[in-house]
Amino acid sequence: MKLNKMFSSLMIEKKGEPVSWFVRLTNILILVLLFYGLFSFGFSRLSYTFRWGSVWKYRNNLIDGFIMTILLSLASLVLSVLLGFLFAIAQKSRILLIRYFSRAYIEVIRGTPLLVQILMFFYVIANAAGLNNRYIAGVLIMSIFASAYIAEIIRAGIDGVGSTQLETARSIGLTKQQTYRHIVFPQVITGVLPPMAGQLASLIKDSSLLSIIAIKEFTMAAREVNANTFSTLESYIPLAIGYLILTLPISYVTKKLERRYFYET
Amino acid sequence: MRLKIDKLTKSYGDLTVLDKLDLEIKDINSLVLIGPSGGGKTTLLRLLAGLEQPDSGSIIVNDHNLDCTEEELLTYRRDVGMVYQAYNLFPHLDALENIMLPLVHAQQIPKKEAREQALSLLERFNLAEHAFKKPVALSGGQQQRIAICRAVAIKPEILFFDEPTSALDPEYTSEVLDLIEELREDTMELILVTHEMGFAHNAADHVLFISDGGIIAQGPPSELFEQTKNERVKRFFDKVLKYN
Repeated sequence: MKLNKMFSSLMIEKKGEPVSWFVRLTNILILVLLFYGLFSFGFSRLSYTFRWGSVWKYRNNLIDGFIMTILLSLASLVLSVLLGFLFAIAQKSRILLIRYFSRAYIEVIRGTPLLVQILMFFYVIANAAGLNNRYIAGVLIMSIFASAYIAEIIRAGIDGVGSTQLETARSIGLTKQQTYRHIVFPQVITGVLPPMAGQLASLIKDSSLLSIIAIKEFTMAAREVNANTFSTLESYIPLAIGYLILTLPISYVTKKLERRYFYET
Repeated sequence: MRLKIDKLTKSYGDLTVLDKLDLEIKDINSLVLIGPSGGGKTTLLRLLAGLEQPDSGSIIVNDHNLDCTEEELLTYRRDVGMVYQAYNLFPHLDALENIMLPLVHAQQIPKKEAREQALSLLERFNLAEHAFKKPVALSGGQQQRIAICRAVAIKPEILFFDEPTSALDPEYTSEVLDLIEELREDTMELILVTHEMGFAHNAADHVLFISDGGIIAQGPPSELFEQTKNERVKRFFDKVLKYN
């Protein structure tokens, strides 16, 4: 009975009561121990000896790769937002060719593996266009890939602005351009910020695939370190932590934004 | 106001909402449209407000011939005001910005001047304390009064209302009707669709009873409400006034 009470006071959230720091820490600690136990059991079966020293010598490779991943992701994000915006608008175009093209573009890009897109773009399109800089090619590929998703995010944002608001804008005597400028876009921007931040997190992780066209980003760097040291886990564990360092703040900011821009329509 | 409508027809797909409607009215200030739902009141109001184009027939409102292109209708809409059943304030703008938006972007009034006009209007209708609140923070009645301010701010030639109290909780109905009444006493020209029969009776100079795509009966409210011989109009009144 006493044990039961202790369990419930430590493990169960009571309605309407804030969870105390002590209870939080206890639960987090239990989780850490559980995972630690799980992993140490796994490693004990593997009988793997960690040799961090050999990887430490290559730390600059990892740091360079880490920075390259950030740069690639940011450049791709900017370009993909621009492209995504264009394709979102193009889907509303009254010129059918433009509308169908953007529809097809979005479906094809979202429906095929990024790996195939990277290979196709780099070895077929970029090659034919005489584009030799693989970093520029990489940014272009990631932008094309992410823009299809961003176009859908923006389109959903535009559709989310109710038809009654468009009607009201019309009754006030706003032109179409004014309606988009003053009514639709301000609401789209605040509405799409959270999913857009999520998209940035995906972009960061997806950019790891650029290593197949020998772009020296984070994942490529880890692969190289592994190839030089034969210390597989010591190369890839920092990789996972590095991606977490980038994506955790984004998911935190996303949650903040979601709360901040929540209003009813 | 002066209205002249000639053989006005409007359909949506297979549904003919208005069928060869004729009307000629002069020298009135407030026109009220009543009638059963789906009878065509709102469609007629939207046509008069320049929000729809007729399939055929002609509409003349004061000096505006509404048989024109969408661009010309846009200019016309800048001269008139519209108030909707669901208030339709822009949710991303506060009350003041909602009123300023048409002034600045449709009427081309400088921002500073627009702001002063909007503030004095809010002041006049006892809404000044809500100037910086977003619609979500306002009651239905407050939202609707601000929506009316937005429509009045442009000094419209005619103000249109599409069931302005139908979406309101009953406790807020009177504050909105009071405001409309105040505008009427200011000799603002009004065209209203409403189900508030008491208000229609008091506020209308002329009432149209619209059903089945046409005008079934019309006249000054005293005539239409009390002495109508028309069976359909009588039945309608019996129904809507049953619990009043």
